[in-house]
Amino acid sequence: MSSVQTSHQAVDVQGLWKIFNEGSNNEVTALSDINLSIKPGEFISLIGPSGCGKSTLLRVIGDLTDATRGEVFIAGETAHIAREKQLYGIAFQQAALFDWRTVRRNVELPLELQGLGKKERRERALELLELVQLSDFAEHRPWELSGGMQQRVAIARSLAVDPPLLLMDEPFGALDEMTRERMQNELLRICQETGKTIIFVTHSIPEAVYLSDRVVVMSPRPGRITHTVPIELGERNEDTRETDTFYAGVTAVREALRGRSTSASPSRIEEF
Amino acid sequence: MSTQTAVQSRRTGRFSGIWPPILIAVLFLAAWQIFVVARDIQPYLLPAPSLIVTNFFTDLSLMWAAAFYTGTTAFLGLVFGTVLGLVMALLASRFIVVNHLVTPLAAGLAAVPIIALTPILNNMFNITSRTPRVLVTMIIVLFPMFVNVTRGLLQVKPVQLELMRSMNAHPRTTLKVLRIPNAIPFFFTGLKVAAPLAVIAALVAEYFGGPQEGLGSRIASAAANTAYGRAWAYVVASIITGLIFYLVVVAVEKWTTPWTGRTQST
Repeated sequence: MSSVQTSHQAVDVQGLWKIFNEGSNNEVTALSDINLSIKPGEFISLIGPSGCGKSTLLRVIGDLTDATRGEVFIAGETAHIAREKQLYGIAFQQAALFDWRTVRRNVELPLELQGLGKKERRERALELLELVQLSDFAEHRPWELSGGMQQRVAIARSLAVDPPLLLMDEPFGALDEMTRERMQNELLRICQETGKTIIFVTHSIPEAVYLSDRVVVMSPRPGRITHTVPIELGERNEDTRETDTFYAGVTAVREALRGRSTSASPSRIEEF
Repeated sequence: MSTQTAVQSRRTGRFSGIWPPILIAVLFLAAWQIFVVARDIQPYLLPAPSLIVTNFFTDLSLMWAAAFYTGTTAFLGLVFGTVLGLVMALLASRFIVVNHLVTPLAAGLAAVPIIALTPILNNMFNITSRTPRVLVTMIIVLFPMFVNVTRGLLQVKPVQLELMRSMNAHPRTTLKVLRIPNAIPFFFTGLKVAAPLAVIAALVAEYFGGPQEGLGSRIASAAANTAYGRAWAYVVASIITGLIFYLVVVAVEKWTTPWTGRTQST
């Protein structure tokens, strides 16, 4: 992974709380005292059962919802400024493409909002479509593409303004297993080519282990980080999913999710 | 609509396309003709199709003029009603207060009995002009346009709104880039209801005095003169006018919004 070039962390979350309906009877603590530092170029997965606040955490980092207490910095800027400066791109479980635009013009959207000229926009979009291997579909409409292809368009769009950070909320959650594994390889290739920092929300333990440098395990009621599991798989290839290190990682994350401080590799897991 | 037809034609093979409805219509008209002739039904009860057709062609030039007059009223009412409906929908989607104010108002307008309104408008405005008729048509058109377009502007996927926010989009940009395109299929749904309705409104508004050039006036005067074949011929001309309005909307929709009616992407 790329070395730290700036003095800032890619993402720095400090003492973050998110409480819905604070003070009323139906108060829900979605996030409680979250602290998380992410180095530039690092791939982090957030994993945990439904309701553990992983999507909420992603949304607070993206300034799509406010923090109740605590602070979020992206490359040294507050989350709000970071959003204004477009320091991150985002991809959701739904591709959320606009049916009235061609694939190319969907990728152009963030550039259009930045006021980039027509020609530059077009060139950049075609470049990105090449990166996600959809050059042949530039002038197609989104509905003509399969779910996996739509998701690749969404990823291309999230990369459009070349942000240092990508936020991904279960982007492969709706895909079948084969497509999913192919997309995971694609994503790792794109990461290597672009050196992005990634926060990736997922339900899938193997997915988290395969993709990440660190898996952040969360637990619900209140949503909090319980463990951080470092993964050292090195260069991923077709056989990686068959290796003992991979299985060890899967076991470690599973144990962490069960709330045990695991016998698999106790020394490597930081407990909170 | 287009995809539906396409799917059906694949499924039903030779019972598809334009011929089955034409065949049914021909059979129906033949049965009608035979029934009227065999039972010796009087024209004031039910004129034979042959009589209607004869009248249709003898009166053709007058009929053209009448259809043109009523069609113009309908078109003007449709344009004004649509523009007003769009403006109201834009305001209602932008300002929740306006939404609360305008929606009951629009519903109230929809409940206005056009028949009761026409004589009043005839008194308020110059009865010899087209104005009261255009106003009646406009009111009829307003409601389906307002309701449909408002829904289209507001029914945006939450994830698409989050995307716009992540890109730091101003509400005005979101309106332009997301809400308005999203509302276009809804706009056409409204227009497909409103267009034939505009013809009916323009026609019925003629029953309450004023210039006698339109289809409605002709139907009324023919019936009053016991010229039932001619009355029915004008009814046919009215149906054709309404259909033309509808088909023009369908054609414009097909041409401008190729993405409607397709399987939605996720």
